Amino acid sequence: MDKLILNLIHRPEMVPEYAEKVTGHGKSEDIGRKALLTESLDIFKTQQEIAHKNGLKTTIQMTYASLFNAEAVALAKEHHEKFGDEISLSLLGLPCKEFREKYQTKDFCIWMFSMEDKKAIVDDVFGKFHEAFGFWPESTGSYYMDAELINYIKAKYPSVKCAVATCWEEGPKAYHTCNNSWYTFMDGGPWAPWIPSKVNTHAPAANADEDSGIVAIPHLSRDLLACYDGNGSNFGTHPQNVLRGMIYDTETWEFPYLYNLIDQYHHLSKYNNGYAYNMVFVGPGWMNKMGRWESPYELLLKSYEDGIGYYGKLKKEGKLIDMTMAEFADHYRSVKTYTEPECALWRDILYGSDKQLFWYCDPYVRACVNMDQGGAIVDLRPYAAKLEWPVGIGTDHIQDASYPFLIQEKYRAGYFTHYAGEGTLRSAKVCHNGEEVDLCLCRTKARFSQNGGDRVLTLDPVEVVFSDLTVKLQTVVTFPEGTGDIKIERRVLELSDPDAVVTVNEYMVGCYGTTEYTEDMSSLTLGVESAQDSQQLAYEYKCRELAAAGAEAVWCKLPPIKTLVGMTAEGRDKAGYVKEGYAFSPMFTLGYTGTLKEKEAFTTWLKLKRAD
Amino acid sequence: MAQAEKGRLNYRCPSCFLRDLDIDMFFDKDKGEYYCIRCQYTGTEEDVLAKNQLARVRYRAMGKRFTEEEFDL
Repeated sequence: MDKLILNLIHRPEMVPEYAEKVTGHGKSEDIGRKALLTESLDIFKTQQEIAHKNGLKTTIQMTYASLFNAEAVALAKEHHEKFGDEISLSLLGLPCKEFREKYQTKDFCIWMFSMEDKKAIVDDVFGKFHEAFGFWPESTGSYYMDAELINYIKAKYPSVKCAVATCWEEGPKAYHTCNNSWYTFMDGGPWAPWIPSKVNTHAPAANADEDSGIVAIPHLSRDLLACYDGNGSNFGTHPQNVLRGMIYDTETWEFPYLYNLIDQYHHLSKYNNGYAYNMVFVGPGWMNKMGRWESPYELLLKSYEDGIGYYGKLKKEGKLIDMTMAEFADHYRSVKTYTEPECALWRDILYGSDKQLFWYCDPYVRACVNMDQGGAIVDLRPYAAKLEWPVGIGTDHIQDASYPFLIQEKYRAGYFTHYAGEGTLRSAKVCHNGEEVDLCLCRTKARFSQNGGDRVLTLDPVEVVFSDLTVKLQTVVTFPEGTGDIKIERRVLELSDPDAVVTVNEYMVGCYGTTEYTEDMSSLTLGVESAQDSQQLAYEYKCRELAAAGAEAVWCKLPPIKTLVGMTAEGRDKAGYVKEGYAFSPMFTLGYTGTLKEKEAFTTWLKLKRAD
Repeated sequence: MAQAEKGRLNYRCPSCFLRDLDIDMFFDKDKGEYYCIRCQYTGTEEDVLAKNQLARVRYRAMGKRFTEEEFDL
C-alpha cells in the first residue's frame, strides 16, 4: 500500500470558536481579555509540541488576531526554522478587538462578507502577514472559499497555491445539529483534495482554462458514510470530533473508530492510483481548559495526543508522509491530471451494518452509489454545469454555498416515501406478469476495477424472486473519465425459466435544490427525442407523461441550475418516457423500459451537461 | 429562585443528542438537576451519564478495530 499523505494544520486563534461562549458563561463578552488570549496561545503551543514530539511537521495558519501578537509571530518563525513548519495565513480566526473595531461587524466567515469587504479584509490580513514575516503566504483557507474570493486572492497574491476550501457535507445537517444556529451551508463538494474551477469552488477544473490556480483541500477527512446521514462534526479526522460524537469508551477513554477512519482513508489508495490523503485541523477552542462535550480537559488532551501519536506511528513505520500545505499542492499537481477522478469504495466502520457506498468525483459529476440499495445512485451533483454561484452579502446566496443536487436521498427522500409520491433516486424496477421489484430492495456489495479511463463498479449478483420466476441479475456501473456520463448495465445471468422474458424499467427521479425543502419547478422542461419527432413538456405540476418507442433520448432541462440531465439506452424493445410531478410530489422522472431474456443486457447512460 | 447556570463540563441533552441535536443543558441549583431548554428532559449528572450510553447503542462497531482486509467487504 502506498503512503498516506498528511496535512497537519494548527492555528493560533486568539479568540477560539466556542471558547468565549463556554468559558465566558456568566460574564459579559470580552474578546480582548487577557486570560482568554493566554489560554488560546497555550493550546496552540500544546498542539505544536504534540506534533513535533511525534516527528510531524505542521502548517501554521496565522489568524488575523495572532498577527497582532508578538509571541505568536515569534513562535511561528521559530517553528519554521526548527521543524520546517510552513507559515501560512488563515482567513478563519478573524474575530478580535482590532477586527471588530475596524470592520464594525461580528461576522467572521469570509465567504459571507460582501465582495467589497472580502477584498478589503483579504488585503488587510495579507498585508499584516507580510508586515510580520516579510513574505507572502503560499497557502490560506477558511471553512469555505468561494470562487470569486479564490480568484481575487490568486490574482493579487499569486504565491498562494493551496487553500482549505470546504467542509464535506456540512450543510443543513450541521445547521440542525447546532439548534439551527450554525450557518455553514456547503454540501455537495469533494471530500478529498481537488483543483477548484474558476467559476465554482466545489466543481473541479476540467482543464487549464478552468483552473483557479490553487489546490484545494477539505477541512478534515470525514467518514463518507456517517457524515452523509449525521453531523459532520462527529465523524472526522479530528480527535475531538470523535468525543463530540460520543464515540469512545467512557471507562478506558479509548476510541478505535478514529484509527479505523484514518486506516480506511489510507485504504482508498487502492482506488486512486496509489494516492491517499488525510487532513487534520483542530481549532484551539476544541482543547479548552474548561473541557468540552462532556469531556474534561484531560480527555481532550489525551485524544489529541493519541490521534497525532497514531499518525506519528504510521510515519515511523514508513506508511505516512507529512507535508506542509504548499508542499502538498506541488505534489498533487505532479501526480494528478485534471480529469482523474477521486474514487472511494467506503464501508461502514461504526454502526456494524456492513453497508457499502461508492463515491465518485470528477470535474463533471459527483455521485454516490449505494450497494445496500442494489447500486442505486442516491446523490448526484451536476458539476458539468459549472454553475456560477456567488455567495455572501449582496448576492442571491448570502450563506448557502452548497452545490445543488439532482438527487439527494436524505433531503428529498430516496426509495421510501410516506403514502404518496416519489423520492429522488436513480434505480430500476424488474417486472414480470404484473409483479414488480425495485432493485433498491436487493442489498449487495461491489468490487472496484479500473479499465483504461473507466472506473467500474461490479456489483455482486442479486436474486429477484417473483411468484413464478427467479431472476439472477447483475449490475455494473461505469464512470468513463472526463465525460459526465454514468453507464449502468443490467445483466440477466440466469432465469429459473430459461424461456421467460422480464421487463426492466430504468428510472431517475430528480429535482433540484440545496436543502430539504422543494424549489419552484415551473421553469423546467422535459423532453423525449425519437427518430420520428421531438416531444416537450413544460413543467406545470400536472402529473403528465410523454413516451416514445425506440426513443433516442429523454431529458430534463433545469434553468435555475443551468443543467441538462438526460438518459439514453440500448437494449431490446427500448422505450423512453418522462414524467412530470405534481404538487405533493414535486419531482420529475426520466426513464426507459425494455425487455430482457437470459444472458442479455440492458444498458443506459445518464448524461450531464450545462444547459446553455 | 436564582437563575440557572452552566454546570460542570457543559453536558448536552442526552435526549436531543439522540435526534442529532447538540444542546448544552443548564443546571438548576435549587432542584439539583440539569434541564434542556428545548425539550422536556431533566436529570441529575448520574442520569445524564447513564442516558449518554444510549447514544452509543447505535455504534455497534465502536470498539472494533478493522483490519486492512476488512475494508474490502
